[in-house]
Amino acid sequence: MRNALTGVERALFWTLAFAAFAAAAAGLAARAVDRVAADYEAARTSYAIVRIVEPEGPVGLAAAEAALAHAPHVASVAPIDSARAAAIMAPLGGPDVGPTQLIELELAGVAPGADAAGDIAAALAENGVTAEVYEASDDGGLSGRVRAAAFWGSIAFALMMAAIISLAARSLAARRREMVTVMCDLGATRSQAAGRIADEAAVLGLYAGLAGGALAGVAGLIVLWLAIPGLSLDALPSMILPVDLAPIVAAPLGAAIAAGAGARAAAGYFHGQAARLG
Amino acid sequence: MPRPNNPELDLYKSGALIRLTGVDAGYGGATVLFGVDFEARAGEVALINGPAAAGKTTLTHVLRLALPPRSGRAVILGVDVGRASARSRAHVKKRIGYVAENPVFIEHWTAFDNIAMPLRMAGQKPRDYVDDVRELVDFVGLGDAADLRLEKLSAAERRRAAIARALAGKPALILADDPTANMSPGDGRRVVRLLAEMRRVGAGVVIASQDESLEECAPMHRWRIDRGRLSRIGQAASEAAEALE
Repeated sequence: MRNALTGVERALFWTLAFAAFAAAAAGLAARAVDRVAADYEAARTSYAIVRIVEPEGPVGLAAAEAALAHAPHVASVAPIDSARAAAIMAPLGGPDVGPTQLIELELAGVAPGADAAGDIAAALAENGVTAEVYEASDDGGLSGRVRAAAFWGSIAFALMMAAIISLAARSLAARRREMVTVMCDLGATRSQAAGRIADEAAVLGLYAGLAGGALAGVAGLIVLWLAIPGLSLDALPSMILPVDLAPIVAAPLGAAIAAGAGARAAAGYFHGQAARLG
Repeated sequence: MPRPNNPELDLYKSGALIRLTGVDAGYGGATVLFGVDFEARAGEVALINGPAAAGKTTLTHVLRLALPPRSGRAVILGVDVGRASARSRAHVKKRIGYVAENPVFIEHWTAFDNIAMPLRMAGQKPRDYVDDVRELVDFVGLGDAADLRLEKLSAAERRRAAIARALAGKPALILADDPTANMSPGDGRRVVRLLAEMRRVGAGVVIASQDESLEECAPMHRWRIDRGRLSRIGQAASEAAEALE
C-alpha cells in the first residue's frame, strides 16, 4: 500500500483507519459493558436469603440447611455465621450481631417467571421449618437497559463513523475526477465510471478497516490487562466469546462498504456533470 | 441500441452518420446554436470554420452527445439523441472518437496507457492491444514520448496523444475541436491529415477550426458557423487537395 498511495491518499487512508478504529473500539466497549451487565444480572438474580422464623436457634438452622439441600432452585447453601455477619456489617460500621438465623442461597436453573421464593418456602415448610425467603429486588430491568443502550449506542456511533468514512472517500473520487471525465467521454455509463472509483475506494476502505480493527483489538487487550491485574494469555481464549470479536471483523467490511458508497455517489455526480453540459 | 427497421437506423445504413435538423442548443439561459442543419457521412471529412465564440465547440458538444438539443432533431450513428436512454447514448459515445480543444487525460498515467484506455474499457488485455497501440503511437508520430507521463508532454504531443486515443477504439465517427490549436502550422496540418486519413477506413471525420486553410489538407465538405448559425459552403479545394496527396 505504501508505494501505491500518494501523500494525500495516505492521509485519506489513515483518516479512514482512525474512523474504523473508533467504530471498532466503541463496539468492543459496548461488548464489555454488555458482558459486565449480564454478569451483574446473573449474580443478582441467582442470590437469595432465607430468614428462619421457627424453630429458633441452631435447631432451626440445622433443619433448614437439611431441607434446603433438596429444595428446588438451590445450588448452594451458606448459613450466615458470626464471621460472615461481621464481614457483611464491617463496611457499614454496624454492630457485632453475633450468630444469625439467616442463610445465603445461590440459585440455579430458575426459569423466567418462576416463583423461586415460594417454592423454597414450601420445601422448608414441608420439613417443619417456617421461613421467609428474600430474592433480589426488582431493579426495573436496569441491566437490560444498560445492555440495550450500549448496543444501540455503539451502532449509532458506528453509523456516524461510516458517514465520516463515506464523506472522506468522496475526496478520492474528486482526485479521480479526470478519470471519470475521460471514461465518460469514451462512453462509459455512470455505473461503469462510478463503479471503478467505488472499487478503488472500497479496497482502500478494506485495508483501512483492517488497520483500524487491528488497532482496536490491540487497544482492547491493553485495557483488559490494565483492568484485570495478573491476566495471562492462557486465560484469554476462555474469557473472549466469538461475538466479542464482531466489531473487529465488521470494521473492514463496514469501512469498505461506506468508502465504496461515498466514492460511488461522488463519482456518479462527476459523471453526470461530464455527460451532460448545459 | 438502435432498433431494427427504424428510420434512424435506415439513415445510418445509408451512410449518414450525423443528421441535425433545426437544432437549437446552449447553456443555462443562453442559446448558442440556432436552427442548425448539418450532415456528415461515412468516408467523408467535414470542416466547420468560424471565428472564436461562433459556436464550434458547442456544436461539437452536441455531436458528442454531451449537450442535448433544446429543439430540433439530432440523429447520430443511428440514434435519435433526444429520445435515447443514457445507456444508448453511452453506447453511441463508444463509437465516437473525440479530440477536445483541451483534452482531458489521466495525468499520472503514461501516454501509452491513456491511449489504450478505450481498449481497456472494452475489456481487452494488454497483450491483445499492445501492438495496436504501438502502431497508433507511430501513426500519430508520438514516438518515445508515449512512455512518458502525460504531464511531461508538450502541447503538440498531448494533441497527438488525444488523436491516438480517439482512434484507438476504431470509431465510426471522429470529432476534433480545434485540433491545431497551440501547434505550429506544419504540425497542425500533419495532425489534420492524420485525422482525414481515417475517412479511408470508412470513418466520418468532423473538424471544427478557426483555420480556413485546413481545407487544403484533404478533400472536405466545408461549413461555416457564425453566431450560432451554420451554413454549408461547399467543397472548395477538396479536389485540389486530393490531387496534391
